[in-house]
Amino acid sequence: MKLNYLFPNKYKKIGWTLLIPSVIFGLITLIFDFEPIFLDFKVPAILVDEILGKKVLFGFIENNILNEIVGIFIIVSSILVAFSEEVNEDEYISKIRLESLVWAVYINYGILLVAFLFIYDFSFFWVMMLNMFTILLFFIIRFHLQISKQKNMLNNEE
Amino acid sequence: MKNNIKVERAKKNITQADLAILAKVSRQTINAMELGKYVPSTVLALKLARIFEIDVSEIFTLEEDDLK
Repeated sequence: MKLNYLFPNKYKKIGWTLLIPSVIFGLITLIFDFEPIFLDFKVPAILVDEILGKKVLFGFIENNILNEIVGIFIIVSSILVAFSEEVNEDEYISKIRLESLVWAVYINYGILLVAFLFIYDFSFFWVMMLNMFTILLFFIIRFHLQISKQKNMLNNEE
Repeated sequence: MKNNIKVERAKKNITQADLAILAKVSRQTINAMELGKYVPSTVLALKLARIFEIDVSEIFTLEEDDLK
């Protein structure tokens, strides 16, 4: 049975080589609030909602595009890592994949629920920002842990 | 569901790795099935039966729990 919703295996390596530096760089830019001036641009926006200004549909906005770039890199690379085929992708690995995905959704929304109740105002904005990426990251961690657990079990058999 | 893949494998004198290659699945899958942790798809069950040259029902049998 052929699955058609996964990327070929070679994209996994590309994903990893992009993901690790993007996550590290992303955390650095987040912690140090790094916004180099040369990346300040006027960019098109669907909704312009300036503080103390008026709301306009389809306008332009002054923005530092570093966080957009880093965000795109993290999302694309984590999708490649998460949804590229394993070398020996088969029905059992698909089952582990599905289980890990459900597990990641539970954990992600579990954390979000707790944050809803106990984190307010601007701090909550941080939670939401991280929550965008954590669902894929939780999946990647859980899926690969499960796969390596299976591999270890095989090595013990021998 | 119970299975006697391990027994059939012994009869044929093939390893988990050999069976994995024959059935075109990973070794993890064979191992998980033998440990009763994974119930294969109908396609894989039929493939195994063909490899062992026996009936599917001779490899897999229902247990009480499955009928609840």
